[in-house]
Amino acid sequence: MQNMNTQKQNGYMLLFRSDEWYEELSHDEIQKVISQNNAWIEGLMAQGKAKPGHALQRDGATVSGKGGRIVSDGPFAESKEVIGGFLLVDVETIAEAIAIAQSSPTLAYGTSIEVRPVAEECPLDVRARELARVEQFANA
Amino acid sequence: MNTQNQNQTGYMLLFRGTDLRKGLSSEELQKVTDNWMAWFKRLTEQGKAVAGNPLEREGKIVSGKDRVVSDGPFAESKEAIGGYFLLDVATIDEAIAIAKECPGLPYGIRVEVRPVAGECPIAADLRAEAQFAQV
Repeated sequence: MQNMNTQKQNGYMLLFRSDEWYEELSHDEIQKVISQNNAWIEGLMAQGKAKPGHALQRDGATVSGKGGRIVSDGPFAESKEVIGGFLLVDVETIAEAIAIAQSSPTLAYGTSIEVRPVAEECPLDVRARELARVEQFANA
Repeated sequence: MNTQNQNQTGYMLLFRGTDLRKGLSSEELQKVTDNWMAWFKRLTEQGKAVAGNPLEREGKIVSGKDRVVSDGPFAESKEAIGGYFLLDVATIDEAIAIAKECPGLPYGIRVEVRPVAGECPIAADLRAEAQFAQV
């Protein structure tokens, strides 16, 4: 596990998960959250800590199985686990990325935010090399 | 990342499943990794992929009014997101066709194909204001 102070060059991805919390709010309340959220992201961008974010529509498809033979609808719009958007934050430590996530105005409405280090090297590639060393050792 | 093009919102591929490496030899795993990188390179050269990143198998989750920080199950999970591509294609059919080429599919990886919202008021406001800020 990564140390909280480990420096990362590639930044962090914030993944916003929620159900359709805004369905419960009045127009004015939604407008207020949007304004707060915009101000939040603009503030981060002005400080050079975030790149413009993307919101995702709540529909889509999931492809699975060998050759992608299974195509199903989903994710399900009402699920709390659906990713509604993401933001790339350009900070050096996960502690800073967590602090940014904690300042999100949408948390008060029940969203949860996944904070993930963007990998410098593909973890699969790293694992393949580790495995190769282990296998070499076992065969020696 | 291409954030300047207002008309093309594109699609996001989210790769789910971080347990792929279980049971594979280093050679098999290396082959999947190489194929994956070649796939991304080709899509980038074709102008179909505009961004993509693997994510580390670790991280945290921040949630609720109390802004609680917890560990997430990101390693060896079927649901965890291992990485993403942003695609600059016009239809979900094209995005699904690309998803079907994912080299991780035979090993249990699932690809979530999601339209990047063009209509979301939050995103639309953001783009307009970002544009305004650049003038």
